[in-house]
Amino acid sequence: MDTSGQLAAHFFREHSGRMVASLARVYGMEHLDAILDAVQDTFETALTHWRYHGPPHHPRAWLSRVARNKLINALKHASRHHHVGDTEALLHDVSTTDPDPWPADEANTDGQLQLLVACCHPALGERDRIIITLHILCGFGIPELANALQMKTEAVKKAVQRSKALLRQKTPNLRQLNLADAARQSPTVCTILYLVFNEGYKATRNAKGIDFDLCYEALRLAKLLHTAAPAEAEVDALLVLMFFGVARFPARLVAYGDWIPLEDQNRSLWDQQLIAEGFRYLDQAQHSGYAGNYYLEALIASHHCAAPDFEATDWKAIHHLYQLLENLEPASTLIRLNRLIAKSYAIGPLPVITELETIAVDGTPGIAFLLAATKAHVYQRAGNTTRARAAYEEALSLAQNPLDSQLIRKRMEAI
Amino acid sequence: MKEFLMLIREDANYGELSAEEMQACIEKHYRWVEELTEKGQFKEAQPLEAGGAHIRGKQRIVSDGPFLEGKECVSGYYILLAESLEEAIEIAKGNPDLDWDRAVEVREIMPMED
Repeated sequence: MDTSGQLAAHFFREHSGRMVASLARVYGMEHLDAILDAVQDTFETALTHWRYHGPPHHPRAWLSRVARNKLINALKHASRHHHVGDTEALLHDVSTTDPDPWPADEANTDGQLQLLVACCHPALGERDRIIITLHILCGFGIPELANALQMKTEAVKKAVQRSKALLRQKTPNLRQLNLADAARQSPTVCTILYLVFNEGYKATRNAKGIDFDLCYEALRLAKLLHTAAPAEAEVDALLVLMFFGVARFPARLVAYGDWIPLEDQNRSLWDQQLIAEGFRYLDQAQHSGYAGNYYLEALIASHHCAAPDFEATDWKAIHHLYQLLENLEPASTLIRLNRLIAKSYAIGPLPVITELETIAVDGTPGIAFLLAATKAHVYQRAGNTTRARAAYEEALSLAQNPLDSQLIRKRMEAI
Repeated sequence: MKEFLMLIREDANYGELSAEEMQACIEKHYRWVEELTEKGQFKEAQPLEAGGAHIRGKQRIVSDGPFLEGKECVSGYYILLAESLEEAIEIAKGNPDLDWDRAVEVREIMPMED
């Protein structure tokens, strides 16, 4: 067995997107199905061999070569059977005019970016865009997606089919999609990456609390987008948000899977290196004058990251930022709720109770639970234990996962 | 020290495995073999191509192999080193293939008698 090769974490997953991008650039998006099959086949071949011999010395080159050969064979086979005339010409073309059809690293990054922009095509529904991005660029299989997004396998399968058909038709030659296009499309891409990250970060979704894989992939793709749009403050701000979020993951959950509220988190568990990286991007965003919602959210997170302990948090500044955020999104119950929480720490729990009682629940998943839990906690801090207990009971009845129920029970015990 | 042949039997359908899971499978094997090598329990291992031929009897009738569609077939082998069949079985139980619901078969290789 070759003892040289340890594979980097998520090596296959990341290479899946790289290989699809490279192949789609050379052979065209119209062969997307054959390309995805060839890549999947390549991993299976790797599984068969590497299981016994360990990874080869150059796993990347190995995968690329095998995937390309598999695709060429499949296309040759198809052209022989279905008279796809230009495929033969294309293959011929590649082998004679392009001695190294494998784009260098830089071009490969471009390829992934172009593919990312294609996957975020506005003709696709928002959910479809999330699904197809994770499927094509991050190598998420159908069952994995169904699990991560809490959907039925059949529904995911249909979404993938639908999106692939659309991509085959609508995507122009990837080589013609240049980086300026990618930069222009960055707002739509940001939206999807923000959603993917939130999908992973969402408290309400699954028993694990945080799906690190989704957050990790969103961060990786956002960094990729940043290479195409280094001057886009929105992308910087999104990266800040993600770094600050990921940096604090270790403190949010303890080993047996309990949520740790902010005030009880052990801040020494926060990853200072990731926080530093976040501040680096924040610095870039700050000089642009952009003040969109990612930026405001990033600033809020920066105040939390900068506070040595909970008591030192600058709640007045955070409250102000939530006010600005609320101006941008006046319909969001979640932002309003967060603003009131910040206000309750800035000037005390009593003054926010009246407004808390007037909040109506909108369609945001899990919002009713959050509202009840917030009310309970504010009443508790204001010394009204009867109201607090009633609101905790209500929150408990609305909790959607064991972690949330556990947290509420703990707080009730503390009354 | 005796030698044991361990055959891996599986239905080579990886269709539902994602890239991440396939990498996990490779890494588990890699670490396992490293561990066996350290303990001096590993001699060699090779995968086998799925295709092959089946040749039978005096007539030398060649068919496409004993590999029925969708049925478990031998996908590879290991040569393990152990003092006894019991020890070899214990080693084989550590094969990560079992975590993916594959099956293994352990047989002692009969040494040449002097």
